[in-house]
Amino acid sequence: MRKSGLAFVAIAAMAAVPAAAQDAYLVGVTGAITGPAAGSYAPVVEALRLYIDRVNAAGGANGKPIRLIIQDDSAEPSKAAANAKKLLTQDNVQLLINASLSSTYAPMVAEITRARVPLLFTGGVCPKDVYPKANDMQFCTTAYAANYDSRATLSFVKDTAKEPVRLGLAAMAIPISRGEIDFAEELSKTMGMTPVDKEIIPPPTPDYTPFATKLKDANPNWVYSWAPWVTQVRTLEGLRKLDWKGNYIAWAHIESELELARLKDANLYVVGANSLFQDNLPVHQEILAAAKAANVSYPPTQMTEGWIGGMAVEAAMKATPWPPTPAKVHAAMQGLKIDTKGLRGGPIEWTADNHFRTKQYYRVYKWDTAKNATVLVKDWFAYDVTQ
Amino acid sequence: MQLYVNIAVLASIYALIACGYVLIYRVSRVLNLAHGELMMLGSYLLLTTASLFTGHPYLAFAAAALLALVVGALVYLFLLRRMTGEMVLAAVLTTVALGILLRGVMVLIWSASQQYPREALGWANPAIALPGGARISTFALLLILSTAAVYLSLFVFLRFSRWGIRMRAAGQNPLLAAQRGISLHGVYALAWGLSTFTGGLAGMLLAMDSGLDGTMVVIGLKAFPAALVGGLDSLVGALLGSLIIAAAEIFLIHHVDPLLSDVVPFLVLIAMLVIRPWGLLGTKEELDRV
Repeated sequence: MRKSGLAFVAIAAMAAVPAAAQDAYLVGVTGAITGPAAGSYAPVVEALRLYIDRVNAAGGANGKPIRLIIQDDSAEPSKAAANAKKLLTQDNVQLLINASLSSTYAPMVAEITRARVPLLFTGGVCPKDVYPKANDMQFCTTAYAANYDSRATLSFVKDTAKEPVRLGLAAMAIPISRGEIDFAEELSKTMGMTPVDKEIIPPPTPDYTPFATKLKDANPNWVYSWAPWVTQVRTLEGLRKLDWKGNYIAWAHIESELELARLKDANLYVVGANSLFQDNLPVHQEILAAAKAANVSYPPTQMTEGWIGGMAVEAAMKATPWPPTPAKVHAAMQGLKIDTKGLRGGPIEWTADNHFRTKQYYRVYKWDTAKNATVLVKDWFAYDVTQ
Repeated sequence: MQLYVNIAVLASIYALIACGYVLIYRVSRVLNLAHGELMMLGSYLLLTTASLFTGHPYLAFAAAALLALVVGALVYLFLLRRMTGEMVLAAVLTTVALGILLRGVMVLIWSASQQYPREALGWANPAIALPGGARISTFALLLILSTAAVYLSLFVFLRFSRWGIRMRAAGQNPLLAAQRGISLHGVYALAWGLSTFTGGLAGMLLAMDSGLDGTMVVIGLKAFPAALVGGLDSLVGALLGSLIIAAAEIFLIHHVDPLLSDVVPFLVLIAMLVIRPWGLLGTKEELDRV
């Protein structure tokens, strides 16, 4: 039994009590802490809380504490909308954070647009609204982002493949994943690859083998999946069960570091924008120590996204003069530069019309059977974010 | 050949889950809408017993299966028993509430992370080559064999054992059964226990094959159309319904569009409800009409 899990929810519940007075920077969070998608988002919320607790213990921002008010939306749009309404109208937060499935974005955006409170996406995919020319009120720190990820992945495949690429594609039947895989399919053609099959897999699926069978029958030598981790990994396992021996490349979600070690698959590559803990940077040591001290419910290797979200909140609040208002926070976020201390390939920089980052950095990792460890296959390479 | 193996695996998953719906409905006319959650609870119980009985995987598995049986009986004794004599709808709504409660409790206890009970037990899951070039994982094969064993055991139990005959009697006419001295509460508790046991077994084998996460609840619900298509009070019907739905899904994935696999169980269900509302092998009863 995980006592820390209970403590986490208890703290979240306590934090849900409306702020009595303007004695702190108020940040509202709605995330998928429970529900089928919680595995990908609950660690983000936990890491965010952990980071902000450390900031507060060190004196807060501008001498004032940052108060997180955490609500669970179970990745349900209606709950996310209700949470946003409550956080904006009752708790009067100055910044709202979404750490949930992309289906929760639209109702939240409607609420923040009315209330003129900035919204930060951390943990869920960055919507195109944060790319230049960005929507005024939306910001994003999440590593993964539509279109850029497929460009990076397919460029790596092209550079690595020793023979003509017959590409299989796998997505989850949700709009964001489908859209990206459709984009990758078209892009692959322009890069001289041959897309041989595309499987759009409904969530949840009791057995991925039927989809893997169809993919295998198309005889790809590379398969690319950009979807929630469960779809990526189970499609791979389905393919391996069928004795398919090709290369598989997927997005490095927060689960990927532990999963690479579990699968020990020499032909599985993960492309990501976060450094993995095997790099053993000082910031990784910091996260590991904080996670150990707090006895957290989720593996520390899944804390990077939430930690970076916390860095963004800290930077935004420090740049917001007291007393805070949503307008002041918004103004501060327009020109923010967040030092990720090596968790990313470079800083996250927001400008007036770019709320994503000016450069998107990528790295590729895989499992090395000889070394019995995860190894870096390709070091940071970057794309200028222009549109 | 692989196509038929895929159908057999999917049909077995649905059938093993669906028999839990049937067992409870058959004796008490209650639809257990917390079956998916109870199924997931079974897998989490395996995770716990795997850490309790390190180095003894068979013992851990047996203990988890037994715990699932006990949990099912306790759910009846402490919750559903109070619904006896009330409207069936009240009992169904109680199962909905139970499902919500279980989902929250499971996250609190085991977190929402992806878990792998098979690795905790130290078992491998190699693929087995079959004739015709098909392949199947060890635990998918075990799932098929377990489904066959469960249905065979239930057939023998319901047909020949004293408690099985009591269960059938309670299902056919509870008042008369009670007047003949049959303990209805005992029969209902047994039905809940067996239902949770079979659901839990499905959850455990699925988790052993491909891992355990929060989506398992929804898989539990996906088997519901199979039970309805076959007839909610017929175990053979559940088997047949599972086979029909699995075959439809796999053929559509392979020959038409994978996306249709998500909707086809419900299309088959709607067609069945229009043509034969009581299902393929279900009992034609007096149905409440809108």
